[in-house]
Amino acid sequence: MLNKNPLRKRQYIGSLIGIAIGVVIYSILPLKQSENFLSLGPLNTGHEGLSCNSCHTDAKGNLLQQLQSNIAYTFGARKTKADFGTENVDNKKCLQCHDRPNDRHPTHRFLEPRFKDAIATINVTECETCHQEHNDTRIVLNDATFCVNCHYDLEVKNDPIDIPHKDLIANKQWSTCLQCHDFHGNHIYKVAQKIKDTISLEKIQAYLKGGEDPFSNKKKYQPLSEEEFLNMKKKYNTIKK
Amino acid sequence: MNYLKTKRVFFLLVAIISIALQSCGGVPEETPSTAASDKVFAVAEILTLIAEENDITRTLYTKGIVGAGKKQGLKFDEDWQDDDVEAGPLPALFLRGISSDIRKSDIPLGLYLGSDFPINASNKFQGKQAALFKKIKATQEPQHFFEEDQKLYTSMFADLAVAAPCVNCHNDHENTTKTDWKLGDVMGATTWQYPSDSLSYKEAIGVINAYRNGTKAIYNAYLKEISEFKIDSTKPTIGNKWPSKGFYLPTAETFVDSVRKLTSYKSLEKLLLADNVTEDKETEGLAAN
Repeated sequence: MLNKNPLRKRQYIGSLIGIAIGVVIYSILPLKQSENFLSLGPLNTGHEGLSCNSCHTDAKGNLLQQLQSNIAYTFGARKTKADFGTENVDNKKCLQCHDRPNDRHPTHRFLEPRFKDAIATINVTECETCHQEHNDTRIVLNDATFCVNCHYDLEVKNDPIDIPHKDLIANKQWSTCLQCHDFHGNHIYKVAQKIKDTISLEKIQAYLKGGEDPFSNKKKYQPLSEEEFLNMKKKYNTIKK
Repeated sequence: MNYLKTKRVFFLLVAIISIALQSCGGVPEETPSTAASDKVFAVAEILTLIAEENDITRTLYTKGIVGAGKKQGLKFDEDWQDDDVEAGPLPALFLRGISSDIRKSDIPLGLYLGSDFPINASNKFQGKQAALFKKIKATQEPQHFFEEDQKLYTSMFADLAVAAPCVNCHNDHENTTKTDWKLGDVMGATTWQYPSDSLSYKEAIGVINAYRNGTKAIYNAYLKEISEFKIDSTKPTIGNKWPSKGFYLPTAETFVDSVRKLTSYKSLEKLLLADNVTEDKETEGLAAN
């Protein structure tokens, strides 16, 4: 067969090299040691050391089935695409570990029509708008003045702070909000009553960039650890079967 | 030449057959499409049904737990989940708890509460909701519309001052924006959203279950909060008695069971009525033939 055309031999060798490279990639890339190489960037604060598949869980079905489904989708034989390889990482995935009954600003709250204008500016219906992963930080926003989008007309009666909220708002000091208020409301701490006793803006900014937690080291609810999450998933999958 | 032509046709055929075979099977779709004939309920019907269940649930909670409980010394607070506050959820937050639990389920139902004079400014209606709320306030009639931007079917229902605690708490609250609420006033409106214009029996049951499970979840969260109260004398006895009988609170089962007793007759009638309508249509069809 190889005698027919001298080019055939080159094709044959080329194919073998291609297959060999494919086998090497297929065996090396899924290894735990390759995770840093594959990762889009360093994980965010608190997520250091997590395995890829804690968030990028395997999609349903095997690769061939996923391929079949997506071909069917392309030709209009099904209504939805199938996840290919790994599942999409969305709010539901985040909440599997971070769901807390005391969340002051849960993402679903902003799905209501009245927040339409606010979410056009900052889409707080998605965790990743602020907490986009692989950025080695806590939140990816440049400044933390987002409270203005909903609380622009805030009026506080019996204002407990020495410089009233009315003045802070009139002076557009929206970066001061986080000096007292914890956005998700999970920290256990006492709120200062004088502006000079509040957490400094520098500390807040450092915290948002991934630094030390200035609110308190006490939290009402802890997120699931990777181990707890994997155990829960295993248990759930067993029940489902 | 002929050999090459045959080869091309052969490869083309193999490619087409492969694609055809590949298109069969695969991963099952998450939301199997329901046949149009199975969609027996208009979305507004089911949202009305569930809004009525919500009215009954909240009235029972406001009167039976908050109103009667306050007389026994139980406290209810906005910050009921804070560690240093030993209190239960106010009715508005009870609804917020139900809404959060629904979001954790796979049922795509949205539930929100708002007003034109809310205690918390972030609950103030804006835009289209504010305009429709004016109508609701005048007529107490529900408003059904399609929210274009979100592509969601939306219904708003009046939220009335059904019990004394509604009026008293809102009038006396330190952050209140209105101090002359009286019984029977339209204090706000609940907004409900669902992504489809019609529902099958299964989907309708899913909506009802999601709401009822939400009620149980928030009530259980309240009981859990009580179990963490630091002083034992502030913990009511939890069993089958209600606060009207003394320093008691019903268990989640007792509370939910009472809600069911009050809501199920009407809900079941509505569910069965849809079946009768379908049967009538079928009979009409036969007659026409």
